[in-house]
Amino acid sequence: MNYIAGVDIGNSTTEVCIAALENGRLHFLGSASKMTTGTKGTQANVAGILAALKEACEKLNMSAGDISLIRINEAAPVIGDTAMETITETIITESSMIGHNPSTPAGAGQAVGRTISLGHLKQGNSYTPYIVMADKSHSYEEVADTLNRYAQARNVTGMILQADEAVLVENRLERKIPIVDEVRYIDKIPEGKLAALEVAMAGSGVRMLSNPYGIATLLELDAQETKMVTPIAKSLIGKRSAVVIKTPHGNVREQILPAGEIYIEAEKDQTVNIDAGADAIMRALSKAGDIRDIHGQEQTNVGNMLARIKKGMSTVSDENQEEIRITDLLAVDTLAPVVISGALAGETCLEKAVGIAAMVKTRQLPMEKIADELRSQLKTKVKVAGVEAVMASLGAMTTPGTRLPLAILDLGGGSTDAAVMTSKGTVRMVHQAGAGELVTMLIQIELGLHSRNTAEQIKRYPLAKVESLFHMRLENGAIEFFPDAIEPKYFGSVVLLTGKDMIRIDEDIPMEKIVAVRREAKRKVFVTNAVRALQAVAPEQDLKNIPNVVLVGGSAEDFEIPEMLMEKFAEYRIVCGRGNIRRTEGPRNAVATGLVLSYLGDSHVDDE
Amino acid sequence: MEINEQLIKQITEIVVKQINGQESGNPHPQNPKTSYEGYPQAHKGTDPKEVVIGVGPAFQREIKHTINGLDLKDVLKNIEAGIEEEGMVPRVVKILKTSDVCFMGLEAAKLSGSGVGIGLQSKGTAVIHQKDLYPLSNLELFPQAPLMTLESYRKIGANAAKYGKGEKVTPMEGRNDPMVRASYQVKAALMHIKETEQVDKNIPYIEWAEV
Repeated sequence: MNYIAGVDIGNSTTEVCIAALENGRLHFLGSASKMTTGTKGTQANVAGILAALKEACEKLNMSAGDISLIRINEAAPVIGDTAMETITETIITESSMIGHNPSTPAGAGQAVGRTISLGHLKQGNSYTPYIVMADKSHSYEEVADTLNRYAQARNVTGMILQADEAVLVENRLERKIPIVDEVRYIDKIPEGKLAALEVAMAGSGVRMLSNPYGIATLLELDAQETKMVTPIAKSLIGKRSAVVIKTPHGNVREQILPAGEIYIEAEKDQTVNIDAGADAIMRALSKAGDIRDIHGQEQTNVGNMLARIKKGMSTVSDENQEEIRITDLLAVDTLAPVVISGALAGETCLEKAVGIAAMVKTRQLPMEKIADELRSQLKTKVKVAGVEAVMASLGAMTTPGTRLPLAILDLGGGSTDAAVMTSKGTVRMVHQAGAGELVTMLIQIELGLHSRNTAEQIKRYPLAKVESLFHMRLENGAIEFFPDAIEPKYFGSVVLLTGKDMIRIDEDIPMEKIVAVRREAKRKVFVTNAVRALQAVAPEQDLKNIPNVVLVGGSAEDFEIPEMLMEKFAEYRIVCGRGNIRRTEGPRNAVATGLVLSYLGDSHVDDE
Repeated sequence: MEINEQLIKQITEIVVKQINGQESGNPHPQNPKTSYEGYPQAHKGTDPKEVVIGVGPAFQREIKHTINGLDLKDVLKNIEAGIEEEGMVPRVVKILKTSDVCFMGLEAAKLSGSGVGIGLQSKGTAVIHQKDLYPLSNLELFPQAPLMTLESYRKIGANAAKYGKGEKVTPMEGRNDPMVRASYQVKAALMHIKETEQVDKNIPYIEWAEV
């Protein structure tokens, strides 16, 4: 009996599959999967291959030396990378507003008055309404005492505090007023200016100050001035508390950064400005036809971004930077929370940003070298056999319920690949930029996470909120009880359910927001890319000509991406689903299985 | 600096001498045990907004300052302020049945309407506890009393209140100084003994209004 092994070296995992050949029939025995060691296509991969082979053999009670033939795939020579650039910037001039979300402001309502510091209250008069400002050198008791003392003599309508003491002060006041606290740069607020202050009711945002006419009502503005404050109103939408100060030139401005242009060298050259947004970039890309290279305007954000990607790639692939060519892009619109310049309380604003995944074609990867190394280490026959996409299609055919023509979508980490195998056996394929890693980046940016690792885990696992030591609320609303009291470090936290244990998310972001961002990121990348990729390979560019789509690759194991694609392709009456290679492997191991299968079709002269 | 047994012995002798000196030359200081008989026993709260602070047996009587000299009045005031700012209601009880910070915290949590309590030893060590936890487990522990400041006590109050509300809490950044143990070990031991002397198993806990 002969044992044949198929080995698939991917960007992140190395997969093997072992089969026995008896009287010209193949019996699949087992498989294993290990982390890829080193960059795909380099000799460093051998360690990972050996580890995976060993694991598979141990399960079968045999040794790697018993294998009589190892078949390695001709790995697709593409590597992907991602980058992000903000394209707008918000600036507050003349300290004209405060709009943030202190956790505990006090006393819902609105107030209008002249700004005055606590120390100057004595010099004030009894007929002017005042908004009092107190920095953190005054304790809450002192502030409350002073205000209570002046309760009759001064008309104090509202208050701005530097310390987090709004509730403490309000609880001690005889006459309740709205109080905004945690204003870090309180000293920058000018005194003697007319200001309007609002604290929203619990659970809602400010209503008056997020409305231009509301500001006009409170600060008595004319039509011209009202037009001026519109950006202020817009930037206060959804805030729990806000202050607008009337200064002659104060305003909030959204400035578009010189983001630059992208030049696409292709059959039909295209130029597109990054400001136009992701849709315009993608349209230009599809108009361009076959792409030779993409680069950005020098000395601009996008220019630097693309240069950075190329530089990174040249280090990884060990090629000259001039020889690295970007052959595909996926641009995605996103919003990044950025601290507003000129802000008084450290406010952030969601600035427009563009996330880009680029794909670089490298020269053919030196698979023969890997084969040589394996040959000498295992003393067995090793053959580099077949193109990755063809092998994946072959492997995918072992999924029950498929027929030709069959399309596969390989949802990986760096790229989304598609291939269509017609009933005549011809294969068309395409590699596209943008996959799992871009999703991770979008999650990280939009949630403002510090660690890429947290974003990666958010992408992978469903969420829950631990509501007590004994139960948690899952993201679909269901309640789950724990058999034993949970570890106290999870108390009150949003956690990720990995199946084995729970991972706590340290950032204070509501579960609903994380779910929304995660789903949106996956949809933006994978649904867009899947349609784009299948259109490129479909007979006559028409999706309706594909009856079956089998999803394979690491991201096909995701708990919601396959469902999203299924919903999308249902529109085209395509049968689409997560592959189940050899009825047992799920979406993994397609290429390794294909490699073993293709042995039957090969001429075996060189193997004998 | 090398720390060996001999050195610690020497330091102990000096400190004991100094403390005895302060106690007007009494060679065998035998603190008279304060009796809390007749004080109202602490009740179990029913207000879900309540966070109970359980202070140690010697709190504000035999010991008036924490190990690093913070006035216990200010410490308590800051914890209460932290709780109040988060919209919860503080209540102080004195735990007499134990001087162990974790058990004190658990007793406070069990008396608390929200189920969250703070244990506060007179020397300044604090813990945030929850009524359903094992005694030696906790929500947050602040073991190095010499590094505590009034701001950190304010934050303890705020965090305890947030646990009570079931909100997401960012645990306080832990401060650690490896020299603290060496410099304060003796003082900590003596303060703890002083506190433990006041333990009264017959009166488990009383309401504490003294500020």
